[in-house]
Amino acid sequence: MKKSLFTILLALVAVVASAQIKKPELMVVPSDVWCISNGYYTEVENMGIITKVPNYKQALQENMGLKLAIAKLNDLMAEREFPLQSMEQMIKNLEQRRMEDNMTTSKAGNELAESPLDEVARMAKCDIILELSWEVKDFGPKHSLSYILEARDAYTAKSIGAASGTGAPSMTADVDVLLEEAIVANMDNFNLRLQDHFTEMQTIGREITLDIKVFANNAAGIDLETEYNGEELVDVIENWLQLNTIQGRFSRQYSSENVANFTQVRIPVYDERGRAIDANGFTKGLAKYLRQAPYNIPCKVMVKGLGRAVIVLGEK
Amino acid sequence: MKKIIFPLLAVAFILSSCAAARQARANKDTNQFRYEIECAGNAIQGTYLVKVWTYSRSAGIAENQCRKNAVHGVIFKGYGGGQGCVSQRPMAAQPGIENQYKDYFDSFFADGGEFQKYASIMSGTTETVRVGNEYKVGVVVSVRKDDLRKALEAAGILKKLNSGF
Repeated sequence: MKKSLFTILLALVAVVASAQIKKPELMVVPSDVWCISNGYYTEVENMGIITKVPNYKQALQENMGLKLAIAKLNDLMAEREFPLQSMEQMIKNLEQRRMEDNMTTSKAGNELAESPLDEVARMAKCDIILELSWEVKDFGPKHSLSYILEARDAYTAKSIGAASGTGAPSMTADVDVLLEEAIVANMDNFNLRLQDHFTEMQTIGREITLDIKVFANNAAGIDLETEYNGEELVDVIENWLQLNTIQGRFSRQYSSENVANFTQVRIPVYDERGRAIDANGFTKGLAKYLRQAPYNIPCKVMVKGLGRAVIVLGEK
Repeated sequence: MKKIIFPLLAVAFILSSCAAARQARANKDTNQFRYEIECAGNAIQGTYLVKVWTYSRSAGIAENQCRKNAVHGVIFKGYGGGQGCVSQRPMAAQPGIENQYKDYFDSFFADGGEFQKYASIMSGTTETVRVGNEYKVGVVVSVRKDDLRKALEAAGILKKLNSGF
């Protein structure tokens, strides 16, 4: 009797633990406008056009104000039991890993296999980006600080919420003090917006973007206009989405014979067995459906984080 | 002797009844949002500094009621910004939440209730204005909003930021 009770309790604990939604990872990033106006950028030439690209590493190494702002934001978020990812640490880890990979060879002298896609996937690992910028404005002997903190979904590029404002002018307080004041004063409103977003996600599902692509000249000889029982493949996929999204919420942004982009796809946060799922888990369900008869389409699911997934059809 | 004691007791009873009635009236005013709350400047981390204007026929009661109104305002009303101040949304913005947890808030805002732990009056900030047949008393109050939010989260009234994950 005791044993069966213990087993039931253990099973219940396991179900409760697995029913937790995957926690989004948040990271503070200085905004492009802040990096460029403070000189932390590199110029990259792309097809004759010179583009300014933020140099985050330089900004983090040279700007004490930025480090202070990130530390303060992390402190306030940790107090709400939601610690942030450290961008500085992430850059260091990436460099360390790249160095280790470059030096790793087999006895036969072979290097580690890594596709360019693996490297890109390693770079983008946070789900919500907190874009931070501030500017000091002088009014005669007084100066005040304008501050913006905006949360953006890393995959759907949607703004989740922002806190902004200009502090009271001061003659004595230095920029670091004004910056700390601005962060502390704006944080509660910012967190309320973040909480609204999380509540919405828990109520009407996680919003993801789903891209369907086709390998050129694939062995299966299919594209998105290939017909099955009189229905084009893109419509087959749309029907599956209609059945498997919450309240059939999604929107087909663009489709052609080779590409289909679905945005605002609201996926359930748990699967039918009560396990937390993300874009990757949801998309694997679609891939499994397409691999089965009558379609028998080989496909490759690519991991892009919690909120974005890509399926490439035609080959594995 | 008896002739003196009896009238004295009667006067004391009438006076205490009047004070209780005024307090009850003040509590009713709080529930009907008959107070004004505004930002009083940047506060230290974990607190809000607010100025609360309370209406009452007794200036003394209005001053006592300011702490209650400040905590009530931070939870249910929020306040506007301007002049370097940041406006704040109410902690509990969902409509009907005060009625939903009526028992909790009745006890929380009772005279001598838990609300006292989260508010302290900044001394020397009291302003009294006579408006018609009542007083409008303004006091700057420091509200320990982080502790207040944690208490409401622990009571299950507010959701934690990481709840559900």
